[in-house]
Amino acid sequence: MNFTTLAFNGLSDALAASAAEVVREVQRSLVALHNGRHGVGAGMIWRKDAEGAFILTNNHVVAQGRSLRASLENGAVFPARLIAEDVEVDLALLYIETQDPPTITLADSRDLHVGQYVLAIGHPWGQRGVVTAGLISSLSKAHTRGPRGEIEIIRSDARLAPGNSGGPLVNAWGAVIGVNTLIIGGDQGIALPSHIADEFVNLALSQPTSKGD
Amino acid sequence: MSSEQNLLAALSDAMVEAVARAGESVVLVDARRRFPASGIAYSSELALTADHVVEREDDIYIQLADGSRKSATLVGRDPGADLALLRVSGGGLTAAEPALEPARVGQLVLALGRPTEEGIQASLGVVSAVGGPARTGRGGLLEKFLRTDTIPYPGFSGGPLIDAAGRVLGLNTSGLAPGGMALTLPTQLAWQTAEALARHGRVRRGYLGIRSQPVMIPAAQQRSLGREQETGLLLIGVEEDSPAASGGLLIGDILVGLAGEPIIDPDQLLSRLAGSLVGQSVMVEILRGGQPMTIQVTIGERK
Repeated sequence: MNFTTLAFNGLSDALAASAAEVVREVQRSLVALHNGRHGVGAGMIWRKDAEGAFILTNNHVVAQGRSLRASLENGAVFPARLIAEDVEVDLALLYIETQDPPTITLADSRDLHVGQYVLAIGHPWGQRGVVTAGLISSLSKAHTRGPRGEIEIIRSDARLAPGNSGGPLVNAWGAVIGVNTLIIGGDQGIALPSHIADEFVNLALSQPTSKGD
Repeated sequence: MSSEQNLLAALSDAMVEAVARAGESVVLVDARRRFPASGIAYSSELALTADHVVEREDDIYIQLADGSRKSATLVGRDPGADLALLRVSGGGLTAAEPALEPARVGQLVLALGRPTEEGIQASLGVVSAVGGPARTGRGGLLEKFLRTDTIPYPGFSGGPLIDAAGRVLGLNTSGLAPGGMALTLPTQLAWQTAEALARHGRVRRGYLGIRSQPVMIPAAQQRSLGREQETGLLLIGVEEDSPAASGGLLIGDILVGLAGEPIIDPDQLLSRLAGSLVGQSVMVEILRGGQPMTIQVTIGERK
C-alpha cells in the first residue's frame, strides 16, 4: 500500500463516518405513512408539543386516505389525524399523540447554493429509510395552480422514486432544506424549500382548532 | 460534530466553491429556437460551445454569469467534433481554467450548464469510462472521449465537465453519440479544435483520395516489410486528380504506412490525416505485388 491509497482510505473512511452520522440523525425523525391500501409515503416530525408530534408530508401521500397510520423509526405505530393541507404546494400536516418525539433540524433554505451536497431519505418502493445522495443542481421557480402563482424549487440530482415523496432533503449537516416532492411540474428530483413548508406549518398552527380536537 | 470532523460538510463547501468559480466561465448560448444551451469561455472574447446547438448563424446571443447579454458571431465550426467557436462583441468573458491532467476513471466530477437565466446548474458524478477512438455520426473521428454518470440536463450541451477544484476536464455534448447519449470531449481535444477554429475558421482535415478496405498481410510480406503488421489497407479506388493519383498510387496497392507510422485500419488513417499534414509532402508506404515501396504524396485538404 502506498501513501496515495492510505490517504484515500483515510479520506473515504472519514467521509463514510460523517455520512453515517448524518443519516442516523435524520432517520430518527423520519416517519413512514400508511394510507389505507396505498403503500408507503414518507414524512418527518417537523415539531412537537406537550402531547404529540406534528408530521409534515406531501398532501398527495395522505389524500383520500381513510385510515392514516404513522410508524416511527423505533417501530411504534400511531393513528394520525390530518390537521391541515395545502394542495397548491402539495403539503399536509398530521398529528400523532406521543411523548417527546425526535424532531428535525431545520436549515435556512433561503441561503442555498448550487453544488451543495444533499442526501434524500425516504421509502422508495416501500423500502424503509433508503438514502440517496447528490447535490443541488439548480435553484429556480415553478408555477403553481393557486394564489402563490410561483414558488421557489430546489432541483437535486439525488435519485428519487415514489416513496421519497414527503421525505426530507438534507444538507451535509443533516438539517432539512427541503421536502421531496415528485409531482410538482410532473418532474423528478424536485424539493420544496423548507422555509415554504415552515410557513405552511406556522399558518396551520395559528388556527384555533389546529389539532382537530 | 465540528466542521473539522464533518468531512461531508467540507466536501459540500468545496463543491459549492468549485461551481461558483467555474460557473463564472460558463455562458448561456442562445443560437437555436426555444431552448438555449451552454458554452465555455475560451478567452476573454471567445466562447466554445457544441456545434449542434448553433442552429442559426445570425442573431446569436451570449449571456454571462453576471447576467449581461451580448451579441456574438460565429468564428467557425467543426461538425465532426460537434464544436463551434463564437466571438462575443465587447468581450468581457472570464476564461475557463483547463485541468492540467487528463480525466481518470473514478474521478469525482461536476457537469455544469447555464441553459436558463436563473443561474448556474450542476450535476455530480464520476468519470465512468475513457473511450476512443470512435467515429461520430457526423463524419468525424473522436480520438478520445469521456463517459460520466452525471445527469445531462436539457441545455447542458456546450457546458464544461469540471474537477473538484473547478478546472475544466472537457466539454459536454449530447450531439455526437447515437440516440443523443451524452459524452464529454476532453479539454485537450476541444482546446486544440478551438485554436484551429480561431486561426483558420475551420478545422483542416487531410485528403488522399482513395477508397480502401482492410486486408490481412501474409507472413512472407510482413517479413519483407521488416515488421510484424498483420493488416493494411487494400486500395479499391483512386480518385482522378487526387493527391493519391498524382503521387502514383494504384488500385491493388496495399497501404501499410503514412508519414513514418504504420497504418493498420481505416480509423488509423483518418486519425493520421486529421492532424497537421495538409499541404505536406509525405512518404506513403505500400506493398505492390508483394514488394514494399514508398511513394511521395502531397496531402490535400478535405473540403
